[in-house]
Amino acid sequence: MDTATPQVTSRGTAVLEVSDLVRRFGDLTAVDGVSFAVSPGETYGLLGPNGAGKTTAISIVAGLLDADAGTVLVRGDHMGPERVAPKRHLGLVPQELAIYPELSARENLMFFGRLHGLRRGELRRRVAEVLELIGLADRAKEPSKKFSGGMKRRLNIGIGLLHQPDLLILDEPTVGVDPQSRNAILESVEAMSGAGMAVLYTTHYMEEAERLCDRIAIIDAGRIQAEGTRSQLIQIVGELDEIRLAGTGDLAAAAARLQALPAVHKVAEVGRGLTLQVREAPTAVAGVVTTAGGAGMDLTDVEISRPNLESVFLHLTGRALRD
Amino acid sequence: MRELLTLTAGDLRQRLRDRSVLIFGLVVPIALMSVMNLVFQTEEIELNPVTVAAAVADDDELGLVVVETLTQVPGLDVTVQGVPAAQVRDLAEDEQADLGLVVPEGFGAAVREGRATEIDLIRAPGSGLEIDILIAVVDGVTDRLTATAVTTAAGAQLGLQPDQLAQIAEQVGSAAPAVEVVQGRTASEQLSVSGTMVAGQAGLFLLFTVGFGVIALINERERGTLARLRSMPLRPGVIVTAKALSAYVIGVVATGVLLGVGSMLFGVSFGSVPLVGLLVLCVVAAATSLTFVVARLARTSEQASVAQAILAVVLGMFGGAFFQITSSGGLAGRLLDLNPIGAFTRGLGITAGGGGLADLTAPLLTMLGFAVVCTVASRLVPDRGAEL
Repeated sequence: MDTATPQVTSRGTAVLEVSDLVRRFGDLTAVDGVSFAVSPGETYGLLGPNGAGKTTAISIVAGLLDADAGTVLVRGDHMGPERVAPKRHLGLVPQELAIYPELSARENLMFFGRLHGLRRGELRRRVAEVLELIGLADRAKEPSKKFSGGMKRRLNIGIGLLHQPDLLILDEPTVGVDPQSRNAILESVEAMSGAGMAVLYTTHYMEEAERLCDRIAIIDAGRIQAEGTRSQLIQIVGELDEIRLAGTGDLAAAAARLQALPAVHKVAEVGRGLTLQVREAPTAVAGVVTTAGGAGMDLTDVEISRPNLESVFLHLTGRALRD
Repeated sequence: MRELLTLTAGDLRQRLRDRSVLIFGLVVPIALMSVMNLVFQTEEIELNPVTVAAAVADDDELGLVVVETLTQVPGLDVTVQGVPAAQVRDLAEDEQADLGLVVPEGFGAAVREGRATEIDLIRAPGSGLEIDILIAVVDGVTDRLTATAVTTAAGAQLGLQPDQLAQIAEQVGSAAPAVEVVQGRTASEQLSVSGTMVAGQAGLFLLFTVGFGVIALINERERGTLARLRSMPLRPGVIVTAKALSAYVIGVVATGVLLGVGSMLFGVSFGSVPLVGLLVLCVVAAATSLTFVVARLARTSEQASVAQAILAVVLGMFGGAFFQITSSGGLAGRLLDLNPIGAFTRGLGITAGGGGLADLTAPLLTMLGFAVVCTVASRLVPDRGAEL
């Protein structure tokens, strides 16, 4: 792991502290020594492909599974399947649509709100607030089975934050959601974090992690491969951009000419084209294209990419996030 | 307690919204009961009026008694035509009379003196049950007269005086039978065909009804609401307890309604309402506990539905849902006796026959024992669904 120690940020005492978590299923070690901490107002992302161990990790954090080793503290209280007190601080948004289709949005919220101990006036007030927040106030009385996928997802999230938990766990909350609903969900998460809620967010969408998360743990094969802010993680692969040139002609000559440019750090011949590592690609691209053309290369395509978490994941695991 | 009530109320609300519970719990069983009652019911027998052509001497008192007795059969309208003996057979054969009866000359005297004599009965072609009844009545009367004749003959041989013989004959003829055979049935056999159908169908569909609660639990596991509930600050066991409670409530209500509606529709009485209520509480406990074993063994709601249906049909069938099955002893018989639906039906038979709480001990213990065994088993068997 590149940044090994779970850190408590300067925002305050950690709401969630996870230490050396291990969980095995037979011969498979699904979670292997995972440690991290999440503070109030912080959104912490677990980024990894399907099967990386994210859901198992948050199942332990949410008290659904026992760990074989390690500890989970929520507000300083040990979490486990039989524990009640730490679960009062927790809101879970499972990956599945954990709502009752026969009940309306309001009835779903009222039901789960009561189970979280909300009563009468407070319950009605919070239900009304959440219905507004998730944009379902005008359809509150309809059976939720009539909702679109995006509306169900929003209701799924609304139930998780109804009782204003200290820690909100969202497990892949945007899977199967249309772009408009996804954006609404991401805005909701940003609002919650802004309101001081600690958010633990799992996803395999790099864009979501980059947009939402203050800190990100890249997880694969049950282990945290790297952890930090977006810029900290990108430093792992360096801050150079990439320009890919596709075309024909004398690639070797073009590579030699391009290598001489000041902005170009490295040139490699890849398939029927060249891949260049450059500083500030948007500025350098014009000179690169001119130089390649002057060296006898007939360009058919030019592509610029800046380093992102996908690059980091590829660098750390040798695989793409969506493999 | 509040969380248990909230969970149970929420579950009941969903079950009621999901109309399949109403359909399988009430509509289908009542419809099936109606159909089966039509198929299996015993028809009421209507006796037609009959005419008897009788030849008997006007001065033969005993002969006249025989003929007079025929007109006094309850529920049977008998018209006696007095005709000469020579016409009796013709009238019967021509079907102008349903039965011909010839009391021979000197019949009364022969009986009094203990001599052999006989009455001729000629039934018309195509005569039915009414004539069988009349012939049986004549048999009964002649048996009594024969007893009188035998007694007086014995008295005469012993040298009794004629006035003494007449007195004895009078006593024998009018005395009540010394031995009376009373036809009855044990309490456990008091359910009519309709009653057995209603009880058996109620038991069969009870297993479907409470099964919905268990399938709902597996559905919750599949769609993630169970995970959400388990992440909430709820005491361990309260989720499963709430599911069991809602299944129990639905089972009790559905079974109670089925027995009530069945009683009204088919004119069946199951006896003491409190005792029937006790039987319902116990059989629902047994059925609910069984479904929680299914919940542990089934990985998916489809598996649970199939297992539930098989158990319901098997236990319901051997419990008398489709036809009465009687234990023939041996291992199979003992297993049959352990069937809670069978115990429920037997219990209803006992209450229908006027049995009390003490008479219900065996079926009640059977059902409660079944419930205990299944509850323990549901805690011991591995939760295969949780392995997913």
